Amino acid sequence: MRHLIVLAARSAWNRRLTLGLTMIAIALSAALLLGVDRVRRDARESFAQSVSGTDLVVGARTSPVQLMLYAVFRIGEATSNMRWESFREIAAHPLVAWAVPLSLGDSHRGYSVVGTDGAYFEHFRYSGSQKLAFTGGKPFEQTFEAVAGAEVAHRLGYRVGNRIVLNHGTGDVSLSKHGDKPFTVVGILARTGTPVDRSVHVPLEAIEAIHLDWHGGAPIPGVSIPLEHVGKFDLKPKAITAALIGLKSRAAVFRMQRNVNEYKGEPLMGVLPGVALDQLWQVVGIAERVLLAVSAMVVAVGLAGLVAVVLAGLNERRRELAILRSVGARPRDIFLLLMMEAVGMTVLGAFLGVVLLGVLGASLAPLAAARYGLIIEPRFIASGELILLAAVVGVGVLASLLPGYRAYKLSLADGLTPRL
Amino acid sequence: MAADPIIQLKDLQFTWPAQHAPVLDIAELAVEAGERIFIHGPSGSGKSTLLGLLGGVLVPQRGSIRVLGAELNRMRPAARDRFRSDHVGFLFQLFNLVPYLSVIENVVLPCRFSARRRARAAAEGATPRDEAVRLLAHLDIEPALLGRRVTELSVGQQQRVAAARALLGRPEIVVADEPTSALDADRQSAFLQLLLQECGAFGTTLLFVSHDRRLAAHFSREIALPAVNRVHPEQRAA
Amino acid sequence: MRRIRGLKGVAFASFCALVIVLAGTFRTEGAAGAAEKSEYRVGDRLPQKAPGSSSAFKEIPWEALMPKDWNPARDFEKLDLSSLSDSDPRATKALEELRKAMDNAPIVQSLNGSRVRIAGFMVPLDGLRGEITEFLLVPYFGACIHTPPPPANQIIHVLPIKPVKIDQGMEAVWISGMLETTRSDTGLGHAGYRMKAELVSAFKR
Repeated sequence: MRHLIVLAARSAWNRRLTLGLTMIAIALSAALLLGVDRVRRDARESFAQSVSGTDLVVGARTSPVQLMLYAVFRIGEATSNMRWESFREIAAHPLVAWAVPLSLGDSHRGYSVVGTDGAYFEHFRYSGSQKLAFTGGKPFEQTFEAVAGAEVAHRLGYRVGNRIVLNHGTGDVSLSKHGDKPFTVVGILARTGTPVDRSVHVPLEAIEAIHLDWHGGAPIPGVSIPLEHVGKFDLKPKAITAALIGLKSRAAVFRMQRNVNEYKGEPLMGVLPGVALDQLWQVVGIAERVLLAVSAMVVAVGLAGLVAVVLAGLNERRRELAILRSVGARPRDIFLLLMMEAVGMTVLGAFLGVVLLGVLGASLAPLAAARYGLIIEPRFIASGELILLAAVVGVGVLASLLPGYRAYKLSLADGLTPRL
Repeated sequence: MAADPIIQLKDLQFTWPAQHAPVLDIAELAVEAGERIFIHGPSGSGKSTLLGLLGGVLVPQRGSIRVLGAELNRMRPAARDRFRSDHVGFLFQLFNLVPYLSVIENVVLPCRFSARRRARAAAEGATPRDEAVRLLAHLDIEPALLGRRVTELSVGQQQRVAAARALLGRPEIVVADEPTSALDADRQSAFLQLLLQECGAFGTTLLFVSHDRRLAAHFSREIALPAVNRVHPEQRAA
Repeated sequence: MRRIRGLKGVAFASFCALVIVLAGTFRTEGAAGAAEKSEYRVGDRLPQKAPGSSSAFKEIPWEALMPKDWNPARDFEKLDLSSLSDSDPRATKALEELRKAMDNAPIVQSLNGSRVRIAGFMVPLDGLRGEITEFLLVPYFGACIHTPPPPANQIIHVLPIKPVKIDQGMEAVWISGMLETTRSDTGLGHAGYRMKAELVSAFKR
């Protein structure tokens, strides 16, 4: 058997150009298949890690998925806000242990600006009850102080003490700046692997302050309130985007959710993060399935190409096979020889695909993290992916039966003297 | 007192599966051990079929083939293949060598498939490889060529390498199918000399098939296949 | 001959694709659940008969968690709905009373410390890497999407000893462990059930 393997390897090496190309095709398709699966899994993990220990997310009555997306993941826009009074009433409910207000809508050079209060740094948890930690500085206290997330500080090179200016709206393009009211960075957070890294945190009062002389998204012409007079105005927030709620008893979450949903002051909605995420995955699941199916087709195409190449070369090799038979090879040996070639190519191709994916993942991971908050785990291969890989190799083995069988039949018919 | 013929064909009849009339019909053919036989016949006279039958690759519909006392037509396919690798060496007209193996690897190829030939080759030299080197030297192949790709060799050199492969491990029978037909005239004779010399040294029975009757002089016995074969081309066309 | 080869090729490629997609789908179901087609419909309850029981834990139905003499719908039943006109405040009030009664549902104290086994639907609270570390167990499917939610004595706050490897919301499971009754400190006197589940296994029909 061993000599057959050596023969198969030498034979394949002899035709390394054509076989190599098909092997690359298999590698690419395998990388695609595994990549789709890996991104899918990492996306879910990224999202799931972003909110932990929060029992309820409260906001205006939109859709649970949309609320989660913009309140927690900073994706998309808030269509309506909730009143400050509503927030205070809910926060005062006996079932509530803590409540963190969030005000979104501004941006800083492409990163979201989050208006919140000190409770954020105290109660926010991620990734299985990890607290927010600071690599430098401390939480904000004054109105015009800011705390930057790890990614923001890293990309823009911020240190404690830097001065920054916020933009109105969430776009990357700074059409309207709040240039007359700069902020001082007083704290930098440690990396969390969640959208917190891509956010700049400021006090709720500051959001009010910078919008004092604005109206409808633009500065009021002729009105300009300088920084030093800002304190004279009432900076109590009027509306917030959403609130994160923690309860004294987790089993009471349904009750509290109902209280929020039936709140008489304004239409509000309470969302269980875990349930909302599941709804999100249901929606996304269809697209994922389609992607997976397409990738599988691509792998099938790659394997079909390999089989075609091996089959096409078979005709030229009939004399060679006759020589092998003359020295004692059995038809069964011929079958194994051809099959081993194809299987070997599949296995090598799949392996190469895994390596390719690893390299690609490692190089694209920083971009994905910065742009989309998607954390791609750097790993060679995950245990779940092994099944997919096994399926690829398994189908490759089945595919290899074809050239093996064809060679077997040819060899039987040709005998020692093939008539070509 | 005389030993059994090393090859004995009796009432042999072979028909290709797609055809109705047999292509070979031989009443009797016997070859003694150590004989050097020249078999000639025009193309289409059934030479390849005969070689296939002798090699155990084809099975006759009627009759028997006894080689070294074993009835090939009674053996199972795997046994026939093993028998062939153990006892018969083959030489073809062209494309004798596996293109992706080196010269020396081609020569030791039979030893990969036959334990018996490996053992016999090792008995001569320390390893089959040593024996291969020795044989190649006898056949005028310099050591420098050993590791070379076979495609770099001339046709004459390739044929001599093929001869070494056929002889390695001392199979009892060597079947050569037009091995000199691709060589130029002056080389033909030289090759034949070398081949006969080695066969003589080992006591190998040599079956040499060719259409070139000029070479018949070198051989102890000449068999005209159309004479032995009771099937005539006109009959086959029917 | 060539046409047959072509057809064979297409059939073969489709076969490959099918196998790989099936492999991937099989994993998708087991992994981060995108199951648009759940086996359960909203409001489904699990059949109470178990296919095989573990002797260490006593299997209990959800009714056992409610005191036998507790009937929160008492006032509601007394109301003759046919005698009321539309939007009669009494109907709304009765509903509110019912709701309050469900909120203040009493628990069965004698169950504290008992080792039980019960089946229900999972509502995940916390999880990491596709494993759930904390969840609520409720009697019927879709409990958290709808109002009214289940009464307090029909919710079990579960902390599994080992994280559970299923992350598909509303999955039906068996939990086994020691049931505890908790006294909440909200000042409203609401109490509930909790369990540090030793075993969490999937519910199979």
